[in-house]
Amino acid sequence: MKMKKLLLAGLLIWLAPQVNAQDKNSGDVLIKNATVITITNGTLENTDVMVRKGIITEIGTDLKAPKNTHTVDASDKFLMPGIIDAHSHLALEVINESSSPITAEVKMGDVIDPFDISIYRALAGGVTISHAMHGSANVIGGQNVTLKHRYGTRDPKKLIMEEAPRTIKFALGENPTRVHGRGKNLQPRSRMGVEAVIRNGFEEALQYKAVWEKWNKEKQNKEVNSPPPTYNSRLQTLVDILDGKIIIHCHSYRADEIYMLIQVCRSFGIDKIVFTHANEGFKVAPELAKYTMGASVFADWWAYKFEVYYSTAYNAAILTKNGVVTSINSDSDELIRHLYHEAAKTQRYGGLSEEEALALITINPAKQLGIDKWVGSIEVGKQADLVIFDNHPLSIYAIPQMTLVDGVRYFDRDNDQADQRLKIDPKRFPDPFRLSTGEHKCMHDVDMLFTKNYQN
Amino acid sequence: MKSKQPFILPFFTIFLVSSLLGITGVWAQSDNNGDRRVTANYFISNTTVIPEPGKILSNYDVIFKNGTISEIGKKLSIPIDAKEIKGDSLFVYPAFIDMGSKYGVSSPDLPEKPKDFDPSNPPSELAGIHPHYSAANHYQLNASMEDEWRKLGFTVAQKIPEGNGMLPGTVALLIYGHPGNSNLLLEKGPLFFRFNTVGGVYPNTKLAIMAKWRDLFQNTLLYREHQVSYADNKSIGRVAIDPVLDALIPLTENKMSLLVESKSELEIRSALKMQEENNFNLILLGVNEGTELIPTLKSKGVGIVLSLGLPEDKFSDSLDESEQGADYDERLERIRKAYNESLRLASHYEEAGIPFAFTSMDVEKEDFFDNLKLMIENGLSKGAALAALTTHPARLLEMEEVMGSITPGKMANMVLMTDSLFSENAKVAMVISDGYLFDYTEKNKKEKEADQVWAYAAKTPVGQSKGTWEFTKKDDKWSGKVSYDNPQGKGTKTAQTKNLRITDESISFSFEVITDDTTMEVIVDGKINENKFEGNMDIKGYNQFTVQAIKKDKPTKKP
Repeated sequence: MKMKKLLLAGLLIWLAPQVNAQDKNSGDVLIKNATVITITNGTLENTDVMVRKGIITEIGTDLKAPKNTHTVDASDKFLMPGIIDAHSHLALEVINESSSPITAEVKMGDVIDPFDISIYRALAGGVTISHAMHGSANVIGGQNVTLKHRYGTRDPKKLIMEEAPRTIKFALGENPTRVHGRGKNLQPRSRMGVEAVIRNGFEEALQYKAVWEKWNKEKQNKEVNSPPPTYNSRLQTLVDILDGKIIIHCHSYRADEIYMLIQVCRSFGIDKIVFTHANEGFKVAPELAKYTMGASVFADWWAYKFEVYYSTAYNAAILTKNGVVTSINSDSDELIRHLYHEAAKTQRYGGLSEEEALALITINPAKQLGIDKWVGSIEVGKQADLVIFDNHPLSIYAIPQMTLVDGVRYFDRDNDQADQRLKIDPKRFPDPFRLSTGEHKCMHDVDMLFTKNYQN
Repeated sequence: MKSKQPFILPFFTIFLVSSLLGITGVWAQSDNNGDRRVTANYFISNTTVIPEPGKILSNYDVIFKNGTISEIGKKLSIPIDAKEIKGDSLFVYPAFIDMGSKYGVSSPDLPEKPKDFDPSNPPSELAGIHPHYSAANHYQLNASMEDEWRKLGFTVAQKIPEGNGMLPGTVALLIYGHPGNSNLLLEKGPLFFRFNTVGGVYPNTKLAIMAKWRDLFQNTLLYREHQVSYADNKSIGRVAIDPVLDALIPLTENKMSLLVESKSELEIRSALKMQEENNFNLILLGVNEGTELIPTLKSKGVGIVLSLGLPEDKFSDSLDESEQGADYDERLERIRKAYNESLRLASHYEEAGIPFAFTSMDVEKEDFFDNLKLMIENGLSKGAALAALTTHPARLLEMEEVMGSITPGKMANMVLMTDSLFSENAKVAMVISDGYLFDYTEKNKKEKEADQVWAYAAKTPVGQSKGTWEFTKKDDKWSGKVSYDNPQGKGTKTAQTKNLRITDESISFSFEVITDDTTMEVIVDGKINENKFEGNMDIKGYNQFTVQAIKKDKPTKKP
């Protein structure tokens, strides 16, 4: 009897996601009577939002759903655009390729782990897009990937937001100097070395570009008088940065190093750059506003290593008031679950408006990732990445109720199973799987010199 | 003239008889390890042949000569120079092919680290990138290890090159043949690739492995382009020889396959991504999960080599209640399901019609037959299991012409089973590898510990005779072995007991002592008093001696 019950329970657990999956596929939904926080067009009371094939097609009142369209009653509830995290390391098999000061050629898109339960947990926190970044061990790290949290697929490709432009991780300061300088006696050993690595990298890339241009021309004219140059995806990636095809997201803390990189970029004609962490960003706010795509910061987190002692919880507000495109990021599989709390802190420290505060986790990170054309606000024509809250998302009592990506429900609090893992390892002992939270992963896979205190 | 004949004849007769005896002597010992063979031609008589999966031929004869199968048929006449293997109680299968074996291959010697060693830009060899190495150059024959695998029915194996990096070298194809021969069948098989790194140098993780692979592939194409251009136009400058890129050229030209070790679903997906980006022949080695990928793998025609290793059952022994945590039963059920899915993986490939093979890479030899039986209990057909060990690997290796089935013209690689393959009591009786006979029949009898061991001593006119009696009880019947000093020289000899009777009070049995010129029957009979035996030893027709024996406390295992 007990055996039967057990089997039945197993069967139900197995069936539940399947049933769910069928419902999930359509991308058609009508959300009724919500308080719609559009971000870009104010807050609309008692409003319906129609989604067809994953795209917002209509925003208004008394919208009628075509037959068989799933309707969600959001009376007394708040609808906002899906939260976007501009700095995350979730759903990655590997984070740092720490073996060289420049590893521009490596791609986080090669190491997406669709089985990471953190994707589901992020959805439960209303996050629909995360920027899966290389770590901060190298001056020029790998190319990041922008993920849409389409949890449930086993195919890493299906998590990638295809529209998103290429981005790359840079890192200044203590991490790269410690890993390469002190760890391996390579350049950079100091902040000066960091700048030199970047400048030398770009100079070499320019030479590389010239060599290939010359050879391609010769080949085109059938006048080849030199051997084919060696292909180097590292230098080619740097060329692509110089050509404006890739947005830099640079790990940084101090004002002087931020300003240094602004200067370097200006001298190479690069304007696609976002500074991440930027705890001293408030000191160079006008420069950030003028020359960059903004800064992505923590709400109130610092003093975890020497270079990040000088900071303030007013950082995001000061940056915002100075016209810097500002976002608040998690850099953590745990923090990502309550970015709406982090955004709310800017109302306490700096008095940002509701719209300004929510922009920090929606349209602004979308701009920094180059995806604001498609997501980041509730507008007709945009992708239906949406989250329904029971209270105003900036309320401390707010709990996400339902999260949709492309109009498809990937999280529904009413249908939240105890075990949402996609893949079970039969080699594992059946002890309780533990929550791994609070581990910040910027220096993950860097197996030298480090303690937990020196991670970001 | 007549008077001479009586002299010549006896001499001739003696010579004839003794030489016949000599041959019989060799045969009587059986050609256990193929060391001394009288003939390279064999005749398996009146046997059951399974020439390939799905076919069965009863009462057939098989002839093989000089390592090659020459004839299969009914009532063939035994060639005059062939040794007969009586096959009437045996089942003859094509021998097994192992698509990936790591045994016997040693790590290559790597160059010294240069003084100005830069871990961000190491020499290829120190980065684990040495596709120009071959497992053939690092294979150390270990005859007993080969015998262990041959004993399971394997005669051909792809040897995987050692090395921690992503491109350790090419695979070598070997036959587990006569240890005295050169047993290399193919020096440069597929190129081996794994998502592994040396550690501490570039490439250090899967991130850089993927990037490095792209660069290597592109640069191989450019290197080849340089070679071609230089042939026409010397003014562009000579090609600086690069052994790494040289080794990759056949791959870029689809003349060689990439054998990618894939130990997880994500590794399979990465391998597919590599293939999508740069088209090449892909074989996945050691596949152990990823049922969902089967349709994709089929449509892309990827070669599949499944792992013979299976996960251990980690859920049947329940955890203490205090350690279980919430939703324990549900979690347990999911693990059970995942475990069962592992056992069913091979059957899913069979259902999908993908001709997969097997690798021994992740299996202990003791588990080989058990794991196959587990897969069969979980839906894999016996025919598909056999195909995965014979015809399919032969096809993947592009060696169908010479191996994979029992067909005239192919190599004489066969397994002779005591019962049909994968059935409960089936044992490997003999293996024919490269035309050599390896007889495991005696070894099949499990060396069971004797239930009783006695040490005896008897006084004879020529001195004391000592030895042991070992008695074993099976199904209520006693059998035994007697060891005795060799009456014609040094060492000891053993003989089986006859008419053995053991009661609480007495032991009686007889055995035969065979010398060059006679056979003597010896009868032992006596009484037991606790652990002591006292009785007589009666050599029939000669004499009678007293014999005493002491029962040993712990039966000793025969070495």
